[in-house]
Amino acid sequence: MRFQDAARDARAVVYAGIQADPQVARTAALLADASLGQRVLARAVMNGETTDPEIWRAMFPTLFGASAADDASALARSEAILAMSLAVADRGEQVRSQVRGALVEELTAQLLARRVGPAGVHRERRILFDGVRAEIHPYDVTVERDGASEAYDCKWGARGINADVLHQLDDARTHAADEDVPLGVALVVFDAHRSCEVRLARQTAPHERTAVVTLESLDELAGSRTGTRS
Amino acid sequence: MSDETFRDAIDRALDAYVVLEELGEQIEDEWSYVADLTDAWRTRFDEVAAHRGETEISDEASAAVDHAIDEIARIEDPHRAIDWLSTFPQVVLLSLGERP
Repeated sequence: MRFQDAARDARAVVYAGIQADPQVARTAALLADASLGQRVLARAVMNGETTDPEIWRAMFPTLFGASAADDASALARSEAILAMSLAVADRGEQVRSQVRGALVEELTAQLLARRVGPAGVHRERRILFDGVRAEIHPYDVTVERDGASEAYDCKWGARGINADVLHQLDDARTHAADEDVPLGVALVVFDAHRSCEVRLARQTAPHERTAVVTLESLDELAGSRTGTRS
Repeated sequence: MSDETFRDAIDRALDAYVVLEELGEQIEDEWSYVADLTDAWRTRFDEVAAHRGETEISDEASAAVDHAIDEIARIEDPHRAIDWLSTFPQVVLLSLGERP
């Protein structure tokens, strides 16, 4: 098993520009240390219709209400997440969608880097196996370490879970096992566990050995390997 | 405290959720997913109502539910509606101080 940079076609070049947007990295950094409520705030605002910050503050009283004033640091983070999320929401629908996708990838990469170090985390990589035709689509994020590699695909919402991505992840795990190499595979979804469970229940593609990391469990990416199953 | 209970707030949220569901159902390929998703979240709302239904909620929480309902009333795109079928319950439950 070996890793390789993905070919840079026109779509990839455009998307690379989105990924490199400093706003993506800054927002991901805020979300990496965010609470569940703050992450739901980001999801709602970036999906939202209104761009009036006062309405969002009123919609999240646990983050901005009277009791929130007791924790100045948390309140400041909530305000920063709100401002960043509104900046994303203010962009056109297509760009907004691309930024959200890039954001989940960047957040995943930042959290993984806390566990394995930045040098071990890579983006947009293909995984090659002897005698197996390579997948066209790269994996969003990989952790590349001898005997402990991991492959991640990232989705903004539960609806993004589909047969193609589940097959791609499970195929990689299976091919790695054929070479006696452990490979943890996981899907990171910036949505609630409950919604992901509903979506997964409808899938016939193999996913029993694919971990699903949701809004509630994102921090596992930075901690123990409970986020992936090899 | 408001005069509203958890059950009142959840009932209002569920009334609005039905309208959002109908919008999401316009995507024919996702019809059954929409049905399963809304069932799953209604179950969670029912759990909260059963546990804390008669407890009064704060003015802040009541206003937050109002704003969440207003937000989904603005949605016209059925694809965005499907996204909010997951997001709306999370927002409402958090505003009530409950985990999604």
